[in-house]
Amino acid sequence: MEQLDEMLLELKDTSELMIDLAYSSLLYNNKEIAEEVVTMEEMLDELANKIQRQAIERVVNDKDEEKAFTVIKLAAAVEEISDAAMQIAMVTINDPEPHPVIRLSIKDADTTITLAEVKDGSDLVGKTLGKMRLASQSGMWAVAIKRGRKYVFGPDKSTVVEVGDVIISRGPPDAEKYFQDLCLGKERLEEPY
Amino acid sequence: MEKYDLAHATVREMLTEMKDISEIMVDLAYASIMFDSEETAEEVKNLESDMEDLSKNIRIKAMLSARTYKDATKLSSLLEVAAASRRISNAAGDIVQLIQCEVNKRPFLTFILREAEEKIKRLILMDNSDMVGRSVKELGVESETGMRIIAIKRGKRWIYDPEEEIVLKAGDTMIVRGTDDGYDILRSYANGEEKWPIYPDDEGEDD
Repeated sequence: MEQLDEMLLELKDTSELMIDLAYSSLLYNNKEIAEEVVTMEEMLDELANKIQRQAIERVVNDKDEEKAFTVIKLAAAVEEISDAAMQIAMVTINDPEPHPVIRLSIKDADTTITLAEVKDGSDLVGKTLGKMRLASQSGMWAVAIKRGRKYVFGPDKSTVVEVGDVIISRGPPDAEKYFQDLCLGKERLEEPY
Repeated sequence: MEKYDLAHATVREMLTEMKDISEIMVDLAYASIMFDSEETAEEVKNLESDMEDLSKNIRIKAMLSARTYKDATKLSSLLEVAAASRRISNAAGDIVQLIQCEVNKRPFLTFILREAEEKIKRLILMDNSDMVGRSVKELGVESETGMRIIAIKRGKRWIYDPEEEIVLKAGDTMIVRGTDDGYDILRSYANGEEKWPIYPDDEGEDD
């Protein structure tokens, strides 16, 4: 993949992670997560600028204005999504106690956010997210892991789950219980597919 | 998409709806570009106008329910969240405009979307799959496979953001979002290679 495409991909993936993190910060009134969204937004602003510059260079060098136009439009739209995530995160930052209805609305949504602590004896301990295939096994997608005082934001396939980790994940409400039971060690992972 | 009487909807219901619509719009917007579907792009535009109605109504309802300064302060941050979901929907509306760019100038878009962490893919439900004749809710498609069905094409008709109660039919083309291995699992059920799993405690559990 060429550099421009890679940057666009990062922009897209990060913007979606930011939305999940922003809602998580609201649901748990967690300012640390909200601050991370703000940091990511600053990073994406720069990334979007870089993408747009490269796209313009492309017009100058290759005369490929149609592709440049598409890239610039897409980057702007995706940046808008990251701005929306920051708008949500700012509510968490500025509001001492967000309106209880916000929390209820997030819980009622088709896609909700949940968290669980990984207990000793859970099948998840010592495995990478990729190996346990958390998303396809449980229906829940990990958006952040709190380990001690630190966070892993947007954990990837190679992130190893440890005892005591708090996994914040996103998915359908009917998958919450299985996910929590997996973390608690009350449910086992299914055999590798 | 669930339709209801906006005049009687509560702030809570509208905020939930706005969150749901904004997220499905982004998925549908990317899907319309990937599969070059004008109809899907059209649906994104319809949803954008639904969002406008919701956005207006939630503001009215919030204003009516504020009695004190403190109420108003709390509700103003709630409206901020509503405004953010509208912003996401506008961004989705901008993404679908890319469908007007020449198709041969945007294959890189499809290429990028194929490499994303969560992907949007298509699959067809075969006659011999035991998903046929069962509802999305009964199967628990997303909790079982991690794949969310964002649209179904049935014959010439599109069903966007299908209700959980929808009963799947042989020949349905499903547009789904999720990970690669979730897709592989779902595909093996959809083409009848594997039986949909049954859990002993499924019966009697009704929530």
